Amino acid sequence: MGGKVTCTLGEVKQRADFIVYWGGNPAECHPRHFTKYTIMQKSKFLPRGRKDRTMVLVDIRETKSAKAADIFLQVKPGKDFELITILRAMIKDQHVTDEQIAVTGLSREVLDDLVGRMKGAKFGCMFFGMGLSMTRGKHMNSAALLTLAAEMNAFTKFVAMPMRGHGNVTGADVIMRWQTGFPFGITFNRGYPRYNPGEFSTVDVLVRGDCDAAFIIGADPGATMPQPAIEHLKRIPTIVLDPHVTHTSRLSRVHITTAPQGIAAPGTAYRMDEIPLPLKPPLKSPYPTDEQVVRRINEAIAAKPFWMPEGSQPQMLTAQV
Amino acid sequence: MTKKRFILNASRSSKQGTLINVGKDSEEYLELTNTMTMSAGDMAEIGLAEGQTALVRTEFGEAPFKCQAGKVPEGMIFIPYGPPTCLLMGGDTDGTGMPTSKGWEVDVTPL
Repeated sequence: MGGKVTCTLGEVKQRADFIVYWGGNPAECHPRHFTKYTIMQKSKFLPRGRKDRTMVLVDIRETKSAKAADIFLQVKPGKDFELITILRAMIKDQHVTDEQIAVTGLSREVLDDLVGRMKGAKFGCMFFGMGLSMTRGKHMNSAALLTLAAEMNAFTKFVAMPMRGHGNVTGADVIMRWQTGFPFGITFNRGYPRYNPGEFSTVDVLVRGDCDAAFIIGADPGATMPQPAIEHLKRIPTIVLDPHVTHTSRLSRVHITTAPQGIAAPGTAYRMDEIPLPLKPPLKSPYPTDEQVVRRINEAIAAKPFWMPEGSQPQMLTAQV
Repeated sequence: MTKKRFILNASRSSKQGTLINVGKDSEEYLELTNTMTMSAGDMAEIGLAEGQTALVRTEFGEAPFKCQAGKVPEGMIFIPYGPPTCLLMGGDTDGTGMPTSKGWEVDVTPL
């Protein structure tokens, strides 16, 4: 089973009476999530707001989000996959031993209660964060949770959604998916898109030293990526487009200051539920937008003679403007 | 006696998110990203005082962090993401494209 059974945040706001946050701390990292979409809002179907909704938090420590939760489940570090797999078995009344449950740090009574509540909900939504996707197991953890959400639909309506962070990371995935069929980890080195995470993904390409130049738009890998990747960015010509001077700017050969998106540059940002939202800049900037800079670079490249011998050009994608 | 090992989790906080916009060179941001939180019991066990610096070492790198006691489970350390945690991160993504940033086994040596 694959894919993501999901919905928009509007549907969550209107209908979700059972919310699970797994490996995330929205009280600190998405501070308006509770109030705008998930637990505080009153709606046509949930007229009493918070009283009509149940919130469960699954995490390895008691974060600030635990105060807002009805049920807090403290799972042992690195045992999320085991817990999700146990829940997948328990919803189908398959046998699970006490030893298997004990590995997760929780008890059978707690899990029985959780399964009962999940099945009894009218509309359940599981949000998962980096506590699930960036620990051991990574995409296997996410896939297990998405499968649990899909399988819960045999009993009631259930969906899952990743808690995306930072400005418009969802937009990058959505646009790459729309343009190439793949969300990330794509190479165009044969003239057509190929996808292979671990091989063509940014960190891996940098750590192996596969690329001999880097062009970075609105990101700061110099302050966020593993040190071996940062070391390679220092070795090669790195070009940065950013409204601010960042750690990456300092290790780059060229920094071009651009107007900040949404403040002085127009565009479209994608919400975590993949809804596109137009950005209307209230201010003007003396700096060009990222789009203007990229277009000028494209024009300058197009004006140069093609670098490969005639007759050896790979099949090129038609540029979408 | 074998040395106690800890599980380190890089994490986010609202203060860190706000300070990114203030500037990653600001004193507060540097202070925050160079501070680790662990349980008071663990600190006493390895002889760390509040505010003391300790060297955190993974199999990939090491970095010094100021220590503070907090409400975290025994055996665990939490540090906000930032340039110092990059020093501890290995480049292997296990074929996923995503480096591991949580659940590292680390040694902690008081300085």
